[in-house]
Amino acid sequence: MEIRPILSILLRNKIAPLLVALQVAISLAVLTNALYIVTLRYEAANRPSGVADESAMFMIHLSPVTKPAFADIMAQQQRDRETLAALPGVASVAWVNQMAMSQSGWNTVVATERTQPQPTAPAAQYLSSDSLVKTLGLELVEGRDFNAEDIEEVDMDQADPKMKQVIVTQALAQALYPGAASVVGRKMFFGTGADADESQIVGVVRRLQTPGAATGKRGEYSVIVPVRTSIPAAQFVVRADPAQRDRIMRDAETALRKITPYPVIVKVKSLDAIRADRYRDDRTLAWMLVAVSALLLLVTASGIVGMTMLWISQRRKQIGVRRALGARRVDILRYFITENLLITTGGIVAGLILAVGLNQFLVAQLEMSKMPIGYLAAGSGLLWLLGVFAVFGPARRASAISPAIATRAA
Amino acid sequence: MLRYYFMLGLRNLRRNPVLTGLMVLTLTVGVAASISTLTILHMMSGNPIPDKSSRLFVPLVDNGPLDGYIPGQLPHDSQLSYRDASNFLQGGPGVRRTAVVGVTGAIEQSRADLGTVEADGLATTSDYFPMFDVPFLRGAAWAPAQDKSTANVVVLSRRMSEKIFGAQDPVGKHIRLFNNDFEVVGVLGNWNPMPRYTHLINGNGGNFAGQDDIFIPFQTAIRLHTGTSGSMTCNGPSAPGYQGFLDSECTWIQFWFEMKSAVERSTLQDYLDSYTREQRKFSRFARQNINHLYDVMEWMDHLHVVSDDGRVSTWLAFGFLMLCLVNTIGLLLAKFSVRAGEVGVRRALGASRAEIFKQFLTEAAVVGLAGGLLGLLLSTGALWLLARQSERYAALAHMDWSMLLLTFALAVLSSIVAGLLPTWRACQVTPALQLKSQ
Repeated sequence: MEIRPILSILLRNKIAPLLVALQVAISLAVLTNALYIVTLRYEAANRPSGVADESAMFMIHLSPVTKPAFADIMAQQQRDRETLAALPGVASVAWVNQMAMSQSGWNTVVATERTQPQPTAPAAQYLSSDSLVKTLGLELVEGRDFNAEDIEEVDMDQADPKMKQVIVTQALAQALYPGAASVVGRKMFFGTGADADESQIVGVVRRLQTPGAATGKRGEYSVIVPVRTSIPAAQFVVRADPAQRDRIMRDAETALRKITPYPVIVKVKSLDAIRADRYRDDRTLAWMLVAVSALLLLVTASGIVGMTMLWISQRRKQIGVRRALGARRVDILRYFITENLLITTGGIVAGLILAVGLNQFLVAQLEMSKMPIGYLAAGSGLLWLLGVFAVFGPARRASAISPAIATRAA
Repeated sequence: MLRYYFMLGLRNLRRNPVLTGLMVLTLTVGVAASISTLTILHMMSGNPIPDKSSRLFVPLVDNGPLDGYIPGQLPHDSQLSYRDASNFLQGGPGVRRTAVVGVTGAIEQSRADLGTVEADGLATTSDYFPMFDVPFLRGAAWAPAQDKSTANVVVLSRRMSEKIFGAQDPVGKHIRLFNNDFEVVGVLGNWNPMPRYTHLINGNGGNFAGQDDIFIPFQTAIRLHTGTSGSMTCNGPSAPGYQGFLDSECTWIQFWFEMKSAVERSTLQDYLDSYTREQRKFSRFARQNINHLYDVMEWMDHLHVVSDDGRVSTWLAFGFLMLCLVNTIGLLLAKFSVRAGEVGVRRALGASRAEIFKQFLTEAAVVGLAGGLLGLLLSTGALWLLARQSERYAALAHMDWSMLLLTFALAVLSSIVAGLLPTWRACQVTPALQLKSQ
C-alpha cells in the first residue's frame, strides 16, 4: 500500500539508496564466504583423531647426539620402555615411529593388486612394537590386534622389514576394497610391481589420523605394522593419568635422561599441544575472518545510519507536511523502515549473486567445497535484521518531527 | 592554492565531527585489514634475492620408475638423488653449483654441565655462500679444496655462535659435532632469507619460520652418514648399506645452478637433456620425462610457498576495503551535500568548476591521509597480534618500508576514488539557485 510512493521517491533519488544497497550486497558476499571458511576450518580442527581421551596422552622423543650401534639402541629402547611403564600414573606405553597430527612422519603407498598400474592410495605408515590399539585406545571394528609373535625387529640399515601383517583404518580398508563387508584376511601391497611387499590385513580400526591429518578421507589413510627398529632412536607414546599428565611428563623426561648412557636430546610434547600446533594457522585464519566479519557488519550498520540520517535531514519539510495532513508518528516510522527494507532487499538480491560468484571463485582457486544454501539464507536474514536495527533509531527521530515544520518557510 | 585547500581540508575535518569520524574510522579499518593481510602475502611471495633470482636455477630430472607413469605428469619428486647431485657438482655448467641437504646435529659443549645444543643446519658446498650472497661477520666460507677433502669444518650462524661462544671470536676454535671435532671457519652476519628459498623442502620450521645454524661441507656429511632432516622419497629398490643408499634412486637433495645470465637458461637445459640421454645408457630415467628448470620465483611457485590461507584472507580483506570505500562515498555525499551554499558563493565569486573540484577532492584526500595514519597504527597492532599466534606468523608479520608507503597510497587513493562522485555532485551546484534561497 505504501510501497508505490516510496519506490517513486527512491527512483527519483537513486545514488544514495544504490550505495546502501551496494554495501549490503558486498557485506553479504564477504560475510557468507568468510563464515563458511571459518566453519570449514572449525570442523576440520575438531575431527576426532581416533585416539581416545587425548588429554591423557603425551609423546616423548629421544634422539642420540651420535648414532649408537643397532643392538645398543634396541636394548636402550627396552630399558626406556620399562622405565616409563614403571612411573607412577602411567597407564600404558608404546614405542611408535610417529603420531597423528604431528605433521611429520612416514608415508607409503598401498595397492590392492601387485599388477595395478597405479597404487590405490597413499598411506601413513605407523610402526609399533606394542599395542597401539591399547595405548591409543583405538576402536577395533574387525579382526584382531597384534600379539607378541607378530613383532619383527629389523635393522633398517641392513634390511627392509617384511611387514607380513597389518592393521588398517576403516577409511583405508574402504579405499582398498570399496563396499566390502569384511577385509580381514585379505591381501594388501606396499606399492606396485614385482618388488612390492605383500601383507595380510589382520585387523581394522575405526579411525587413526595420519601425521598430516589432511582434510577428507586421506587424513585417515593409516596402516599399522608390527615392527620395531632403530629409526627414530626412541619415540614413545604414553597414556597417563590426565590430572597428573604435566607432572608425569616432567618425571618421564628426568627419568629417561638419567638412564640413557649416551648424550641425547629429549623432547616431550602432549597430544593436546600437538593438536594445537597442527591447527594453529587454521585458528589464526578463523579469528582473522571473524574479526573482519564483525567489522564488516559494523561498517554496514554505520553506513545505513549515516545515510538515513542524511535523508531525514533533507526531508524534514516533507515529513512535517505528512504529519500536518494527518499521518501518525507510527506511519512515519513505518515509512522509513519499509524504505530501508526495500533497499536492503535489493542489496541482498545482488549480494546473493555476488556471494555465489565469490564462492565459485574460491572453489576454483582453492581446494574448497561449494557453500551450502543455508549460509546464504542465514546471511540474508542477518542483514535484514541489521538493516531494520540500524534504521530504527534515525526513523524514530524522524517520527518525532513536529507537524509545525510544514508551516514554516523553507 | 592546493596548499590552501589542504589547510581548508584539515580545518573541515572538525566540521560534522560525527560524519567525519565515521568516515576516517571506516577508511582506517578497511586499510588496516587489507594492509595487514597484504603484508603477510607480500612477505610470503617476496623475491628474496632480486638481483640474481632470474639466473639461479633448480634442476629437476625425473628418475621415477616407469610403473604407473603417465606421460606429461610432473617429476615424481622435487629433489635429486645423490648420483645426479654429485654428477651435477662435478660436471655441470654455470658459474657456481651447489647441493643442499638439511642436517640436524647436536653441539656438545666443552663443559658437560652446559648440556648439548640441538642445531639445525645445512650440508652444502663452498659455492653456497657466494651464490646466495651470504654475508660473513667473521672468518669466511671453507675453501673448495676442503669440499673435496671432506674436511671437518663448520660455519655457524651468528645466533649459534653467540649461544656457544658468547662475544668471543670462535674462528679457529673446535666444537664437537656428529661425534667429530669440527673447526669453526666462519660466522654469518644476520642472514635468514624470507622465504627460506635456498632450502624450502626442509624439516626444521618450513618455508618461513626457523633458521639454519650450522653449515658443513656436503661431502663431509656424506662421509659421516648424517642423513637428511628433510624429506626423502624412495621409489625403487636399493642395495643394503649406506653405499647402496647413495647409489639408489632415492631423492633427498636440493640442487642449485648459478648461470652468468638468465639467457644461459637454454645452455643449462641442453646440458640436462644431454645428461639424461647419457644416463639412459645405464638404464636410468626410464620415464623419458621432460627435464625441468625453475628460477627462484618459479621454484617458490612450484612448491606453493604462498599458502591458500594467505590468498583467501587477502581477497576477503580487499572485499572489505571495497565495502569501506562504498561507505565512504555515501558519507562524503552527505558531508558535501550540506555545503551547497558554500559552493554557490565561491562559484558566484568567480571560482571555476575545476577549482571547486580541486578543493573538494583535496578535502577527500585529507580524510584519506587521516585514515592512513590511523590505519597504520591499527595494522601495526593487528600484525603484532598475528605475530603472537604462531612462529610462522611471527616470521611473516613484519611491515617494511614498501608496505608503509603502500598504506598511505592506498588510503589516499581510496579516499580520492571515493571522493570523485560526491565532488562531481558538488560541482553541479547552480550558484544562482543557492544564492537565492539564502
